[in-house]
Amino acid sequence: MATGSSLYTQRRIKNIIALSLSVVATLIGLIFLAWILWETLRQGIGALRPQLFTKITAYGEDGGLLNAMVGSLMVNMIGIVIATPIGVLAGAWLAEYASGTKLGESIRFLNDILLSAPSIVLGLFVYTIVVLPSTSLTNGSTTFSGWAGGVALALIALPVIVRTSDEMLRLVPSTLREASLSLGIPQWKLTTQILIRAARSGIITGVLLALARISGETAPLLFTAFGNNYLTFNPSDKMSSLPQVIYQYANDPGEGLHAIAWAGAFVLTMFVLLLSLASRLVLSRNKVSHD
Amino acid sequence: MQATVGAIASSVPQEERARRDARHDRLFGWLLKGCALLVLACLLGAAGATLWGGRHAFGTFGWHFLVSDAWDPSTDTYGALVPVYGTIATSFIALLLAVPVSFGIALYLSEVAPPWLRTPVASAIELLAGIPSIIYGMWGLFIFAPFFSDHVKPWMTNYLGDKPDDGKLSWVAQHVPFVGKLFGSDYPFGASILTAGIVLAVMIIPFISSVMREVFQTVPTRLKESAYALGSSTWEVSWDIVLPYTRSAVIGGIFLGLGRALGETMAVTFVLGNAMKLSPSILDPGASIASTIANQFSEAAGLQKSTLMALAFLLFVVTFIVLLIARWMLRQLAHKEGR
Amino acid sequence: MTESAAAGIHPQSAATHAPLAPTKIKVRDLHFYYNGFHALKGISMDIPEKKVTAIIGPSGCGKSTLLRIFNRIYAIYPKLEAKGEIILDEENILDSRYSMNRLRSKVGMVFQKPVPFPMTIFENVAYGIRHHEKLSRADMDIRVEQALRSAALWDEVKDKLKQSALGLSGGQQQRLCIARGIALKPEVLLLDEPTSALDPIATGRIEQLVEELKSEYTIVIVTHNMQQAARCSDLTAFMYLGELIEFDRTEQIFTKPGKKQTEDYITGRFG
Repeated sequence: MATGSSLYTQRRIKNIIALSLSVVATLIGLIFLAWILWETLRQGIGALRPQLFTKITAYGEDGGLLNAMVGSLMVNMIGIVIATPIGVLAGAWLAEYASGTKLGESIRFLNDILLSAPSIVLGLFVYTIVVLPSTSLTNGSTTFSGWAGGVALALIALPVIVRTSDEMLRLVPSTLREASLSLGIPQWKLTTQILIRAARSGIITGVLLALARISGETAPLLFTAFGNNYLTFNPSDKMSSLPQVIYQYANDPGEGLHAIAWAGAFVLTMFVLLLSLASRLVLSRNKVSHD
Repeated sequence: MQATVGAIASSVPQEERARRDARHDRLFGWLLKGCALLVLACLLGAAGATLWGGRHAFGTFGWHFLVSDAWDPSTDTYGALVPVYGTIATSFIALLLAVPVSFGIALYLSEVAPPWLRTPVASAIELLAGIPSIIYGMWGLFIFAPFFSDHVKPWMTNYLGDKPDDGKLSWVAQHVPFVGKLFGSDYPFGASILTAGIVLAVMIIPFISSVMREVFQTVPTRLKESAYALGSSTWEVSWDIVLPYTRSAVIGGIFLGLGRALGETMAVTFVLGNAMKLSPSILDPGASIASTIANQFSEAAGLQKSTLMALAFLLFVVTFIVLLIARWMLRQLAHKEGR
Repeated sequence: MTESAAAGIHPQSAATHAPLAPTKIKVRDLHFYYNGFHALKGISMDIPEKKVTAIIGPSGCGKSTLLRIFNRIYAIYPKLEAKGEIILDEENILDSRYSMNRLRSKVGMVFQKPVPFPMTIFENVAYGIRHHEKLSRADMDIRVEQALRSAALWDEVKDKLKQSALGLSGGQQQRLCIARGIALKPEVLLLDEPTSALDPIATGRIEQLVEELKSEYTIVIVTHNMQQAARCSDLTAFMYLGELIEFDRTEQIFTKPGKKQTEDYITGRFG
């Protein structure tokens, strides 16, 4: 009896310790989240000034981030515009044409790997296939460009869009396919006009998530879009972007630049968090209408 | 009557339409397949481009490249050891810290927390995954590294390391092997391999914990219920039933986090100190493959550029293998569920 | 044609439905396999024109499978195989040379659960027509109205044709699917348990609709609801474990079934 009850006590204590540790672990996660968000808000809001949105980085501490924000928007748009059609069609192939085939399974598998592949290596890839060839056309002056940046971001957005499109299309009930095919509608019309439309909000969610993901990407832009202290709307020029300026300013010894970097970080974080919030809203509204 | 006429008249164009549809279907199928093959092309292209870019470095240094800690642009001699060590060390530290914390979070969210609290806490943790890595980098550089060097690092160097401020070695540094070297540092700033590891850990916790939470939820309720019916405690059910049942997927989740950590650039670059010098201490600055490329590629030329490409190739191959294992392990559980 | 007529007409059906109407679909020794499983075992039957033929039987007897062969919708899935002959208007539709497009404009299908396309009500009906015929706007409007009227849906939706079809009730959605099917002016209409997801009132409307449609279309309906078969069909086929047990006039099946198994099923002793 004595050993039995002490064993029981021992087990109970072990349980309590383990469960308490799980609470501690969760608190650690939440504390870091709060810490990071709090500092970004505090430092960022403190440094917000109207000139951030009206002046360019060429003026340094007296300047703003206008060219970086414009550059970010343009490069992101190029990335999304390239990645969305390719990603949705590739997702449709995985879901509609290749389910169960070896090639389809392998590409689905490899796409998941591309999803977490190091973005800096993808940046170097685009440097090799876009920047280097165009450099050789211009007698050796390195041709970093907004286009190259956009292509690099497209490679990062692509697997996100492929995956969500694939998943969302597979959620479309197969009866919809049967109903369309039994009207004699060919597969390509069924895919483009019915299935993609039925999975629309899920696909939009994927695109928004991809946009959120590439908005914060810095590494692949360093040697593709490179950066530009002046405002340009021409993607054939070097282009500035918000993360790249934050990176540059944060590494600079000047305190004034740090403040601008924090303001940029604040704007970037808000943008990205709002995007992921928006994507959740799109998805949840879709769920409601389905039920 | 109209209908009958229409039906007869349309039967020839109908055959034609059928042929046209079949042709369009075929073209459309090829288009889609082409798009899907681009995914493959990206992976092969990234590996091929970096291998091709790094051919000079591989050709010049040979296998010696992997074990040399040289990094001297003035004599154009480079080795991969310093950044490779930095990459492995920071990722290892990150895993060491992130795995238990993630397991705790997943356990809390799937077994311990009251149901009304689960969704908000899980969303908060997932929010952590949505923050861009450059924000982690800035937070690490301006907030965490100074905090670390003011409050944590002195304690570690004085009580554990072999280079304490007052010159008097602690008992631990004298008697426990390796610890002295590991924590000894006279570098005055917060940037270090350990700092980078901690920042990386914070970054990958949401990834690992959300995978773990997801797979814990796949454990059949009847399995858990029968263990509870035998009088098992929550902890015993989690450790003896849930964890073994989901083992492969849990390992997959950990490898997924490792893949992220290995390739992460911005969060690490800010807090690693970028010293191309090998040091046994985790409180000294170092360099990772990604941070070295980010810092040096724009100004590099010739052999140095090729070396950076070669490093990128190594990084890509290693993360590819790690992620391959991760996905494969995750798939095991899906098969078990009969999906 | 003489040899096939002699070959395998089911004894009962040959005798009984011959006076009813000319045959629209001749099924001869039909076998069906999925993943090697023998799901239909030598089905032969003659489905008469412009009548309602009901197929009943316990779950898993192959009744839906049989229906899904009539427009070869099964062919979109891999590893399914049909052997034998299905003669629709003198041509074997199982012949790979038989154009899918043609088959599907001749044979329409309505499914168990209503599946409106994610479009407006008008577009749901117009979409299929547009693929097969080029019509002017005015002609299209007339065609859509005709179809919706035939499906007894027009009065309920005429003011909201531009609204999404997903907003309709289940019964309305199912009638929309019927409208969509008959808009292509098919000759045969296949209904696969069309009321199983509907409430009794909506079910009643669909049954009434089936009654009205049979003057123009050959209708084959699969149902697990015996009362439904008794109420709205002219002929009833009873299937069990992949075989056609009995095929006869509906009143015959429900009053004096020829086989013991049929009687057991109808009186509720199994299934």
